[in-house]
Amino acid sequence: MADQMKEQEHIPTSKVQRASKFLSAGAKVGGNYIKHYAQKVVNPSLSKDDLHISNAEDIYASLSELKGSALKVAQMMSMDKNVLPRAYQDKFVMAQYSAPPLSYPLVVRTFQKYFGALPETLFDTFTKSAVNAASIGQVHKATKNGKTFAVKIQYPGVAASVSSDLKMVRPFAYRLLNMNSKELDHYMSEVEEKLLEETDYQLEIARSEEISGACSHIPDLAFPKYYPELSSERIITMDWLEGLHLKEWLATNPTQEARNRIGQALWDFYHHQVHHLRQVHADPHPGNFIIQDGIKLGIIDFGCVKVIPGDFYHGYFSLIKQDSLMKEEALNKIFFDLEFISGQDTAAEQTYFKGVFKEMISLLGQPFHAEQFDFANDAYFNQIYSLGDRISKDKMFKNSRQARGSRHGLFINRTYFGLYSLLNQMQANIKTTKPDWLK
Amino acid sequence: MEDIEVVKTSAENTRAKILSAFKEHVLETGRQPVSVYKFAQSIQISEEEFYNYFTSFEGVKGGVWEQIFDQTVALMEAQDVYRAYSAKEKLLSFYFTWVEVLKKNRSYLLALYLGQTGYKKAMPDELRNFRNRFKDFANLIILEGKETDQIVERRGLSDKYEDALWVETLFILQFWLKDTSPGFEKTDAAIEKSVALVFDLIGKTAVDSLFDFAKFLYQSK
Repeated sequence: MADQMKEQEHIPTSKVQRASKFLSAGAKVGGNYIKHYAQKVVNPSLSKDDLHISNAEDIYASLSELKGSALKVAQMMSMDKNVLPRAYQDKFVMAQYSAPPLSYPLVVRTFQKYFGALPETLFDTFTKSAVNAASIGQVHKATKNGKTFAVKIQYPGVAASVSSDLKMVRPFAYRLLNMNSKELDHYMSEVEEKLLEETDYQLEIARSEEISGACSHIPDLAFPKYYPELSSERIITMDWLEGLHLKEWLATNPTQEARNRIGQALWDFYHHQVHHLRQVHADPHPGNFIIQDGIKLGIIDFGCVKVIPGDFYHGYFSLIKQDSLMKEEALNKIFFDLEFISGQDTAAEQTYFKGVFKEMISLLGQPFHAEQFDFANDAYFNQIYSLGDRISKDKMFKNSRQARGSRHGLFINRTYFGLYSLLNQMQANIKTTKPDWLK
Repeated sequence: MEDIEVVKTSAENTRAKILSAFKEHVLETGRQPVSVYKFAQSIQISEEEFYNYFTSFEGVKGGVWEQIFDQTVALMEAQDVYRAYSAKEKLLSFYFTWVEVLKKNRSYLLALYLGQTGYKKAMPDELRNFRNRFKDFANLIILEGKETDQIVERRGLSDKYEDALWVETLFILQFWLKDTSPGFEKTDAAIEKSVALVFDLIGKTAVDSLFDFAKFLYQSK
């Protein structure tokens, strides 16, 4: 996919055009099902995995042309590894790396709009084509006075198209994620809010500076410096971090010690954000991290930051206390507070959902239950996937009258899934720290 | 010799004065002046002198358009990177610069043209000079595109390419006049999209290959 990528000269912006993209993907997916069942007649041993692979390819091909929020949704779905079948995930993970770039005159235009100057006048050198594509923008490399900068430029019209994009993704998500429509609304409104925030580059700079300042004491981390005077609503200028992407770094066969060190830095970074700052970089996908020589973890892109409300925080994290699984009373209250169960549920439903959630919590809380946790343990991750799989096929969840789980949980879950799966990819062994009040 | 210079500069001044006074009138009243006589009086020249420069208000409006075109080209060529652009990027750059110049005159243009110029509707006469200049520019781009194989020569169609680009120009103008998105971002997207479409159509397509193949089959029988 990536090697034959041709320069894309436009984002399909009108609703009709975007809709037709989805339709073509939809048609192909339909075709794949027909193909699948036709082959199945001949070869009954054919598994659904092949079908998922061809579906994922077609959906990815369509989504990658869409950019903007649709691509973002693809990314999110690929993060929540528990909800997507494996074949879909691998394709979507590709979306996190690269999408084809936009034309240079438009970059020039954006600069003129916000600075009244050309990129060449503001910098000594400026690459004509993008060196990297972010989901709602692209990154150019620039130099000035011997320093190298990464300049991120947002596609025009992204902010305006977020809502209509999400409406378009809806039927897709519905089919892919197997959610009922109430749950989907719940999910979509939170996603929409975050996406709109992400198009606000001023906010991103403010948050980047705040969080990187507050985390500067953590060892083995590197943050780029931001330059507000060279940034605007649609442009962010920051230091260029030299280094390798996670996948590239892993391909160089780093030692176990190096893996542990990077993994630990990542863990400490999240620990400090969640438990001390109460706001978290909620986008732990591999493209946002750079591993530098001398073993430092560089963190870029603070587009998606989730602020954790106080009562949610206490409810959510008291669940990871191992003994909390025992105290029925307290647990019930937390489940109610976090909207896992509600007064509308029948007694049978309550017991059923409580059972499932308890299982989920004890599984996801496992890394916290010991001093040290080995994320290389694939068996643990398969347990998570199979639980996710089971839930997504569960009739009780599908027919449930309301969404389960607080909306704040969405991004926190996503953050932890992302974190776990990054650590799993690194095969790192981590000292899993807990905040004092949980010890 | 010197006298001629002086006459020339003062003539340019008067012409420029007429143009800016006309724009100001439209901006303040929302329509063009009632008569040449009144207009000439308001800028303290005689009606006769007005006719030395323009024969009607249509001519003045045409003059404003020429000004817009010249400004666009000057701004565009002032960018060093322009010379390194491909044919397609040059056209993109032209449109992006153009809408920037248009923006400075938006109220004036809205008063006169909103709903007036469509690619479907008859073109107002005063756009004629603008069109001629644009077509000269478009022909340069098309020529360059053909040299670099971004544009394909098709007999009977190639000489219509410039018209296609002109239709696109009118489309962008109309789109921009109606655009209400912040910073006219939608116009930016419309430009990228329409230029990509036009270049897809006039570039090498499957139809060309099909035609070529059919010709080959026919000839080798």
